[in-house]
Amino acid sequence: MNDILVRAKGLTKAFGAVTAIAEATFEVAAGDQIALVGPSGSGKSTLLHLIAAIDRPTEGQIEWPALGGQRDLRPGPVAIAFQGPSLLPPLTVAENIGLPVLLAGGTEVEAAAAAEPLIERLGLSDIAAKLPEEISGGQAQRAGLARALAGQPRLILADEPTGQLDSTTADGLMTVLLEQVRATQAALIVATHDTAVAGRLPLRWQLIDRRMQTGAELSCSS
Amino acid sequence: MFILTWLTGLLRHRAARLAGSVLGVAMTVALLGSLGVFFAASKAQMTRQALAGVVVDWQVQLAPGAAAASAGRAIAGAPGVVKSLPVGYASTTGLTATAGGTTQVTGPGKVLGLPPSYSAAFPGEIRYLVGARSGVLLAQQTAANLHASVGTLVAIGRKGLPPAKVVVRGIVDLPAADSMFQAVGAPPGVSLQAPPDNVVLLPQAVWQRDFTQLGNTQPGAVYQQYHVALSPRLAPDPAAAFTDVTARAKNLEVRLAGAGAVGDNLAAQLDAARKDALYAQLLFLFLGVPGAVLAALLTAIIAAAGGDRRRREQALLRIRGASPRRIIWFAATEALLVGILGAGIGLIGAMLAGRLAFGVTRFGATTSQAVFWGALAAIAGFGLAIVTELVPAARDARTITVRQARDIVGPASKPLWATLYVDIWLLAAAGIVFWRSVQSGYQVVLAPEGVATISVSYSTFLAPLLFWIGAALLSWRLSNAALGRGRAAVARAARPLAGGLAGVVAASMSRQRRLLSRGLLIMALTASFAVSTAIFNQTYAAQSRVDAQLSNGSDVTAATTAATGLPPRIFGATRQLPGVVAVQPMMHRFAYVGNDLQDMFGINPRTIGQATSVSDAFFQGGNAQSVLARLAARPDAVLVSDETVRDYQLQPGGLIRLRLQFASDHAYHLVRFHYVGIVREFPTAPRDSFFVANASYIAKMTGSPAYQVMLTKVSGSPPAIAGRVRQLLGPASGAVVQDIASQLKITLSGLTTIDLSGLTRLELTFAFILSVAASGLVLILGLVERRRMFAITAALGARTRQLASFVWAEAFFVTLGGAVLGILSGWGLSFIIVKILTGVFDPPPPHLFTPWAYLGALAAVTAVAVIAAGATVIRSAREPAMEIIRDL
Repeated sequence: MNDILVRAKGLTKAFGAVTAIAEATFEVAAGDQIALVGPSGSGKSTLLHLIAAIDRPTEGQIEWPALGGQRDLRPGPVAIAFQGPSLLPPLTVAENIGLPVLLAGGTEVEAAAAAEPLIERLGLSDIAAKLPEEISGGQAQRAGLARALAGQPRLILADEPTGQLDSTTADGLMTVLLEQVRATQAALIVATHDTAVAGRLPLRWQLIDRRMQTGAELSCSS
Repeated sequence: MFILTWLTGLLRHRAARLAGSVLGVAMTVALLGSLGVFFAASKAQMTRQALAGVVVDWQVQLAPGAAAASAGRAIAGAPGVVKSLPVGYASTTGLTATAGGTTQVTGPGKVLGLPPSYSAAFPGEIRYLVGARSGVLLAQQTAANLHASVGTLVAIGRKGLPPAKVVVRGIVDLPAADSMFQAVGAPPGVSLQAPPDNVVLLPQAVWQRDFTQLGNTQPGAVYQQYHVALSPRLAPDPAAAFTDVTARAKNLEVRLAGAGAVGDNLAAQLDAARKDALYAQLLFLFLGVPGAVLAALLTAIIAAAGGDRRRREQALLRIRGASPRRIIWFAATEALLVGILGAGIGLIGAMLAGRLAFGVTRFGATTSQAVFWGALAAIAGFGLAIVTELVPAARDARTITVRQARDIVGPASKPLWATLYVDIWLLAAAGIVFWRSVQSGYQVVLAPEGVATISVSYSTFLAPLLFWIGAALLSWRLSNAALGRGRAAVARAARPLAGGLAGVVAASMSRQRRLLSRGLLIMALTASFAVSTAIFNQTYAAQSRVDAQLSNGSDVTAATTAATGLPPRIFGATRQLPGVVAVQPMMHRFAYVGNDLQDMFGINPRTIGQATSVSDAFFQGGNAQSVLARLAARPDAVLVSDETVRDYQLQPGGLIRLRLQFASDHAYHLVRFHYVGIVREFPTAPRDSFFVANASYIAKMTGSPAYQVMLTKVSGSPPAIAGRVRQLLGPASGAVVQDIASQLKITLSGLTTIDLSGLTRLELTFAFILSVAASGLVLILGLVERRRMFAITAALGARTRQLASFVWAEAFFVTLGGAVLGILSGWGLSFIIVKILTGVFDPPPPHLFTPWAYLGALAAVTAVAVIAAGATVIRSAREPAMEIIRDL
C-alpha cells in the first residue's frame, strides 16, 4: 500500500499577474496532521483548493498516489471544510451533513447514520432540523466541518475551522476533529491563524511570500 | 461622481442583467406600441373600407315643389361636397314588351332619369352587362322578366297617361340597388324598403320629356334626388368620421330649410364601422393587454433574479458607510438607464413590428392618438423600470437588515392573498360575471342604428380578467401545495431522475417552493396567453371563412337572378376545371307564404355539404347532419325561419302551403310542403326569413329544373378559378361570379371588417418570444440565482448527473406543471372570450378551433429553450465556479 496521499512538485498558481502560490513542493502521507499557517492573503485557501482538486495549478504537478485519479477524489477520499458559510441554503443542517454520503452513492439511511454521531459530538443536535439561515456563523462552521467528516475521507482539508468560534468551542472542535482523524487514520491539513490550533498539530507548513516551507525546512530554519 | 462610477461599474460588470431588464422593458413597450399601431391601422382601414363600400355618399331627396336649381346650388356648395348630380325618380304602373311572339307584362317599377356624366361620377352604381352604355338601359332582372334584349321596344306604364315607348339599348346590373331606392327621410326603425323588381334607366332628357307631365298630375309618383360624392378626406377613426359626416348632413338639411332630406349612405356605413372599431378595441383589451402584462412580469423576474446579488451589494455598501438615501439614488440611476434604453428600443421595435405586420408606423389613427399611444407605451416602460428596479431596491435599503440580505430561502409563510383565498374568490367572481354576461339578449357592444353614441359593456372584461388572474394565482397555490404537502410524492416522481438524491432534491424544491412556484406561475401565464391567443385567432379565422362562405356561398359562387337559371352546361364544365373539388347546383327562387314573399333555396341535402360549409349553427333543434337528413327523408320537406314558425304557428311535420312561380305560365301557384326544421342561416341566403327545400321537388312542382346558383369548392386559388368560370359563362350570361378571397376583403360584418391578420401575426410572434423567454429565461435565471448552491455542491464532489438531477427536476416541475395549468386556463380563457364576443361571430362558432401546428411548434421551441437553458446551467455548474469558491 502506498502511504503517500498527495505529492506536489513545483506547484504554482497565478491569478493573472498575481501569483498566489509559487513552486510548492510537498508530500502528504496517511495519518499526517499538518497546520498550514501564514498571514492573510498568503495563499492558504488556494493551496487547499489545489490539494482538493477544486482548482487547477498554473504550473507544476500534483498527484494523489493513494487516492486515485483526480475525478475520484470528491466525494470520498478527500473532503474540505470551507472557511465561510457553505451550507446549502435549502437543506437542513442534518441533510447538509449527510449530503456527501448521498453524493458518494449512499442511501438516505446511510447518510442519516453517518450524520447522527457527528451532530451529537459537535453539539448540533438542537439545530439539526434548522435551515442554514436560521443558525449562527459558528454553528454553520461546525456543521460544515461535520459535513467534511461524514464521508469518512482519507484526507481532510479544513480552512480556518475555528475562525468564528470562541477558544473553548474551538478547542472542543479540534478534539473531535483529531479523534476522528486518528480513528480513521486520515490525514489532516488545517489552514489557521490560531496558534493554539496550530500547536495541536505535529506538522507545520508555513506560507511566506507565496512560497511554502514544509516541516523539514521549518526545523532547519529554526 | 459616485453615481457615474456606479453606472460604469454596472455597464462593465452587470451588463447581462442590465441587458435583460432593458429587453424586458423594451418588449413591454413594443407590445403596447404595436397595439397602438394595430389600432391606428385597423381604424383607418375600417374607415377606408366604409368609404370604399359606399357608391353614393348622400342621396338628397328634394321635397315636392322645392326649387331644384337653388337646392342644387346649396348642395354643391355644402362643405366637403365634391360632386352632385340630379337624378329623376318616377314610378311606373308596369312594363310591357313583346318578344318572340309573346307579350310579357311586369308589375310596378321605377324609372330613373340620369345625367350623361352619372356613371363616370358614380362608377359603382351601374354595371354594364350587354349592349350600349348610354341610352335606355334595362336592369338585368327586368330584362329577364320581360324576355327583353337590346333592341326590344318597351312600353312604360304611366298612371293617368298613355305608356311611354322606348327602345332598349343595353342591359345593366345595379349592385347598389338597396341604397339607390331607399326611402329617404324615413324615420329610424322603419324596415328597409326592398328595391323594385323592375327598373328602367333613361337619359335625363328622355326622362324629363316623358315624366315631367306625370309629376304635375301625380306628384307622389315623381321626385328628384341629388346624388352626392363627398371628399374622401375624413378622420381615420370611423367614430370621428361618422360624427363629422352626420353633422355635415344635418348642416345641409338646415341650409336647405325643408327643401330636401339627406339619405346618408356614408354615415350608415361608418355607423357599422365604428361598432367594429369598438370590437377592435375589445379585441385589443382581451388579446393584447395580457401580453404586455406578461412582458412586464418577465421584466420583474429578470430584475428579481439579480435581487440576491443586489441585496449583498447593498449590504456591502451599508457596511462601508453608504446611507439608504445614497443606495436609493444608485438604484434610481439604474432604473432611469433601463427605462430610457428600454422605452427607446421598444418604440423603435413597435414601429418596425407595425411596419411588418400592418404596413404603418404611426401609433394612432389621429395625431392625438399617436401621441397618446407613444407616450403611454413609453410611460409604461419607465413605470416598469421603476417598479422592477427602484422599488425593490428602495424597500430593501430601508427595511432589510444586513443579516437578512443573506437569506436565500426566506420565510415559509403564505402570502396574504393565499391566506385569504383571493384566487378562489376571483374565479368565483369570474364565473358569476361570465354567467351574467352570456345571459340571453346580452350584447357587448350596443350601437343603436343612427344614434351617435355607442356603448360598450366594459364590465364584461371582468370575466376573462378575473379568470386569468384567479387561474394564475391558483396555479401558484397548487404548485406551492404540491411542493409543500406533496413533497413525498415529488421525491417519488424525482427518483428515476435523481436516484438516491431524490429526497434531497425534493427537500430542496420544497424549501424553495416560493421561487419555483413563481417560475411555474409565469410559465402558466405564458402558456395561457399563447394558448388563448392561438385558439381565439384560429377560431376567429375559421369563423371569418365560414362568415365569408355564408355570404359568398362557397369558395367560388356563380349566381343569376334570371328565372331561366344558369346555363346547364356550366356545372359540368366547371367540374372539369383544374383545382375544382366539388360543384353543387342550388335553386334560388321566391315563394309566398301568405302575403310574405321570401327567398327559397332548392338543394340536394345529401350533397350540398360537398361544396360549402354547412355549420350546425345554421339550424335550430339539431345539428346540420340531422336537420339535412330530415329534409332528405321527405321530398316535400321544407326548412323555414324561426319567425315564420312563430307567425304561422307551425308544428314539426305540419303542412305549409306556399305559392311558387310555375314555368308554364310564370304565375304563382299553390305548392304543399311539410315543415321539418328551422333554418337560421344558409349560404348566400339573406339575414331575414327564407326557405330551404329539396330542389328535385321544386323542379317537379314548378316544371322548371333551372338552377340559379352554382356553389364550387376549390383547392386552388379562388380568384383564379372565379376568372375561369366567368370565361365559361361569357359576358352575356348576366351571372355574377364571386370568390371567397375577394369576399373576405369586403366589408360584410363585424367579423370580417376587423382585419386580425396583422394583430394575429404580432400576437403569435410575441407569444412565441414570451414562451421561449419565460421557459428558458425564467429557468436559467432561477438557477443562476442559486449559482452559489451549485458551486458548493460541485465542490463537494457532485457528479454532472447529480447536478443535472437538481436542474431537470426543477425544470420538469416548472415547465410541465406550468404548461398543463396554463393550457387548461388558456382553453378556459378562449372559451370565455369567444362566448363574450359572440357578437363578433356570425354565425357563432360550433366549437373552439385549435391551431395544433402552431401549438406543437410552440411546445417544441419551449422544450428546446428549456433543454438549452438546463444544459447551459449544468455545463456551467459541472466545474465549481471558482470566484464563488474563493469567497467561501
